[in-house]
Amino acid sequence: MATTVPPPPAPAPAPAVDAKVDYFNLPCPIPFEELHREAMMSLKPDLFEGMRFDFTKMLNQKFSLNHSVLMGPTEIPSQSTETIKIPTAHYEFGSTFIDHPRLLLWGRILTDGRLNARVKCDLSENLTFKANAQLTNEPHMSHGMINFDYKGNDYRTQFQLGNGALLGASYIQSVTQHLSLGGEVFWAGQHRKSGVGYAARYNTDKMVATGQVASTGMVLLSYVQKVSEKVSLASELMCNYLSRDVTASFGYDYILRQCRLRGKIDSNGCVAAFLEERLNMGLNFILSAELDHRKKDYKFGFGLTVGE
Amino acid sequence: MASQGRRGGVSLPDRPSNSTSILAKISRSSLVSRGKEAAGDAAFVAKKLLRSTGKAAWIAGTTFLVLVVPLIVEMDREQQLNDLELQQASLLGTPAPK
Repeated sequence: MATTVPPPPAPAPAPAVDAKVDYFNLPCPIPFEELHREAMMSLKPDLFEGMRFDFTKMLNQKFSLNHSVLMGPTEIPSQSTETIKIPTAHYEFGSTFIDHPRLLLWGRILTDGRLNARVKCDLSENLTFKANAQLTNEPHMSHGMINFDYKGNDYRTQFQLGNGALLGASYIQSVTQHLSLGGEVFWAGQHRKSGVGYAARYNTDKMVATGQVASTGMVLLSYVQKVSEKVSLASELMCNYLSRDVTASFGYDYILRQCRLRGKIDSNGCVAAFLEERLNMGLNFILSAELDHRKKDYKFGFGLTVGE
Repeated sequence: MASQGRRGGVSLPDRPSNSTSILAKISRSSLVSRGKEAAGDAAFVAKKLLRSTGKAAWIAGTTFLVLVVPLIVEMDREQQLNDLELQQASLLGTPAPK
């Protein structure tokens, strides 16, 4: 079928010739940690294995309850190259309170005792407070983090405080209408590690290109092209200079009227697809597939999401 | 013949010595052995080739199943929906809602 091949992108209209950039009226850049947002959306769908069922019940405008069941094999980490899977079943209960746009409270608890909690609160017009906690009943596996975000006219800055003496700060500034540059520093006191990172992002309404370099040896380049309103293609190159592993991946993202389909293939021999099909109002059917030819690890999952 | 039969064993008559030597010579000749070697090598390579093509075909096929087949199905559905809408619009004479 010819229609499966997306048409080549139409030649971009000649850019409006305005050499004069109004440096006092630049747009606000997106937060530093969401720099690769578009590429992540297309290339990292939340794949799962087994069966999942999610039910969301809105109690009123601001408060909703969430029940979800997940059954299927989970991988347990091991030294050997073969993956070991054990069958598990979880029930997750959660609640969300949204007082848009000032306050967000979010909590999830699993039957095995894991608890996730998030708070996002606007302290003033420009200053946002965020807190994130993951509690488990295993020692030394609980995490907590507090962020303060300040949003300026054409820049954003963030200060981060975490357990294990983790400190971090980042800053991102719009340089021209399309280009923004940023940097970060972090210090992890528990592991006696520190580092700096730099990032750049160029976005127009047809494409987004980002690059990030960090002193940990990580280099990440991504490029997303919006072919049409429904279709975008994404590619990503990630390499770690110190451990010398390189991964390139390429993916597509189709947003159609009844469904959203994301597919990706990468240089490790891993193929994945994720389909969200809207069956009815507030009823979604999910199919997830992941094939790892090199490790002979095949994951398939299906799920149902009720309520939104 | 009769004396051989009386001994109980069934054995072929002795081959004429000259033919044996020719056959043996032929089978022992370097040309034949080289041919045999080549045939063996060819079979080995063919088997390897067949196996690797089979593997490649398997990977390509499963990749196609996962990446392309859902896309085809969904595009087809979308097309059908569009057609239906167009038909309705032309039937009613008004632009379809949504």
